[in-house]
Amino acid sequence: LNAAPGRAPRQRVRFLPAPAPGGGGAVELVAARVPVLADHPLVRGPRFRKLKIGAGHRLDVKASGVFVLGIGRGNKLLTDLYNCHLAKVYTVGGLFGKATDDFSDTGNLVEKTTFDHITREKLERILAVIQGTNQKALLMYSNIDMKTQEAYELAVKGLIRPMGKSPPIITAVRCLQFALPEFQLEIHCLNETQQYLRKMVHEIGLELKSSAVCTQVRRIRDGVFTVDDALPRTQWNLQSIREAIQNCQLRVETELEKTLG
Amino acid sequence: VMAGVARRLLLCRGLSVTAGPPSTRQLREAEEAAPVFQYAGKAARRKDRVFVWGFSYSGALGVPSFVRPDAGWKKPRRIQPTPYRLETDEKIASAACGYGFTLLASKTRDITKVWGMGLNKDSQLGFQRTRRDQSKGYEYVLEPSPIPLPLEKPQQTRVLQVSCGRAHSLVLTDSEGVFTMGNNSYGQCGRKVVEDEIYSGSHLIHQLNEFDSRVVQVVCGQDHSLFRTKKGTVYACGWGADGQTGLGHYNITSVPTKLHGDIAGVNIIQVSSYGDCCLAVSDEGDVFGWGNSEYLQLASVTETTQVNVPRHLPFKIGKVKEAACGGTGNIVLTEEGNVFVWGYGILGKGPNLTETAVPEMIPPSLFGWSDFSPDIRVAHVRCGLSQFAALTNRGELFVWGKNLRGCLGTGRMEDQYFPWRVTVPGEVVDVACGVDHMVSMVRSFT
Repeated sequence: LNAAPGRAPRQRVRFLPAPAPGGGGAVELVAARVPVLADHPLVRGPRFRKLKIGAGHRLDVKASGVFVLGIGRGNKLLTDLYNCHLAKVYTVGGLFGKATDDFSDTGNLVEKTTFDHITREKLERILAVIQGTNQKALLMYSNIDMKTQEAYELAVKGLIRPMGKSPPIITAVRCLQFALPEFQLEIHCLNETQQYLRKMVHEIGLELKSSAVCTQVRRIRDGVFTVDDALPRTQWNLQSIREAIQNCQLRVETELEKTLG
Repeated sequence: VMAGVARRLLLCRGLSVTAGPPSTRQLREAEEAAPVFQYAGKAARRKDRVFVWGFSYSGALGVPSFVRPDAGWKKPRRIQPTPYRLETDEKIASAACGYGFTLLASKTRDITKVWGMGLNKDSQLGFQRTRRDQSKGYEYVLEPSPIPLPLEKPQQTRVLQVSCGRAHSLVLTDSEGVFTMGNNSYGQCGRKVVEDEIYSGSHLIHQLNEFDSRVVQVVCGQDHSLFRTKKGTVYACGWGADGQTGLGHYNITSVPTKLHGDIAGVNIIQVSSYGDCCLAVSDEGDVFGWGNSEYLQLASVTETTQVNVPRHLPFKIGKVKEAACGGTGNIVLTEEGNVFVWGYGILGKGPNLTETAVPEMIPPSLFGWSDFSPDIRVAHVRCGLSQFAALTNRGELFVWGKNLRGCLGTGRMEDQYFPWRVTVPGEVVDVACGVDHMVSMVRSFT
């Protein structure tokens, strides 16, 4: 970053002595644009000595996926994006037949159960109920007076969203794959933690009269950033980071304008 | 040799196993050796349940401990704001809510087929013999109590459907016609009006069999009764001052008489009524209405406030599948799954829409339809006196309207101006709406 061409030095008008056109020792002051000495690279030193990097929504150790970071002035955008309360999308993988103490497959075993009575239809019914109860929570925590016409208009468009503090709310769930004993869900949620999603997998197992553990939690979308924009380990270099920032800039600005005005 | 023995002794000294964190192999072996529990086998079936909510002091919810607490710490519960499970002996196939009482019916071949609870001041639940005095009957029934029907073949006949009005009830059987009980001061029970008849503690249950074909649906309005036969004809009896009997006059009718007007010759597939207005749906998707029109229910065809002959309502909303009538508002469901409301009151489109004579559609996004779940459709619509209920194909129940004494079941006491989900632990199969309480038949998830 420091090797890249920096800001051009400021120019200043100085009156410098120059030999007079008449000749013979007389000195005349001539105005000339001179670079300021204080801006000289040897005086200023390297432009970047440290970078401020801020993290977006948390992602814990056992999960993977999109992790948003802000650099320098982007940290202010991070707070604005947090206040937008946009939904995040996860793919959660689960396994029937086991129950552990920390709800993931690496924890201590608590119980083993049978699971051959579970069908895709039963799982989808449970998911529909989870979605329904969370829809209610969505409307309740959004702090809108239900008796107004405005609340009705927003509910029709589906734009009601809690814009302040709220418990984790799941806006949509759907089953992507189902092959006993494994299954995979796509979850859209707000204000959640990954451990809450693992607990949800455990509760789905209980509801189906069996038990389940979570094998994988992967965030595939965080607000406007998707997996396609995210940089894998091999691309953590300056060039890719600059391109990624430029690609996302426009989208972030439009989203902020739309939500926060 | 000595050195070898000494080495073996040294090796044997470590007989005790060193304690420490279990290795991966030990963990895996422990896991495989753990017992497997079975909570549900292959033959596990989904259970059928009944949930009730609303005003409980009339006994209509069927939970005696709400009215007369049976333990010292329990307090009387005037209103049950959220769904409460009611234990029943048999699977309930049909339920109906009247004005302060409820009827539950099962399709069993046993002798007890119908249970009733709530107000019984007009013997709308039949004669409920008191324990103390064999000749007196209970005026309030707090628990689902069997209603003895005078059947000729009690172990063969099945009860198909029940319906309740303000103070009378109708029971439809598959081979013995319709049984009516309760108040008959307007002839709504289909028998001649007896002057100064005392209805309280009455044993009289009347049987109606004289129709042109088998009766397939019975509907109770506030003080009148409607019967729909297999051939598609509609019969009515009872109070007619608002024209709700549809027989061309405003008098009382005490014998079920056939309706004509715009439905003559039309095959009617569904009839509905709860207050003083009636709606009928034909097999071609047309809607016919008659009765009270003070709240613009029939204002699309006439300016008069009472219509005593069935009139065709020329709505251009598509083919209608189901209709339901409330006290002041009406609701229909079309083949495409759209819901239309009209009339007066809280119609479900926000606080600004209080009356309309022309049906207005409720946006499907309020019932859970979205790009994420595009195949959600409304499957049934039901009406109480001032509430509406809609059931989706996913088994979710949406309610809206006036929240009289907690009858909406949302857990709040405020009125609901747009469809709101009721959290029921199961898939809702059917719901019956009354004045201040509701009953739902639910199947458990697994």
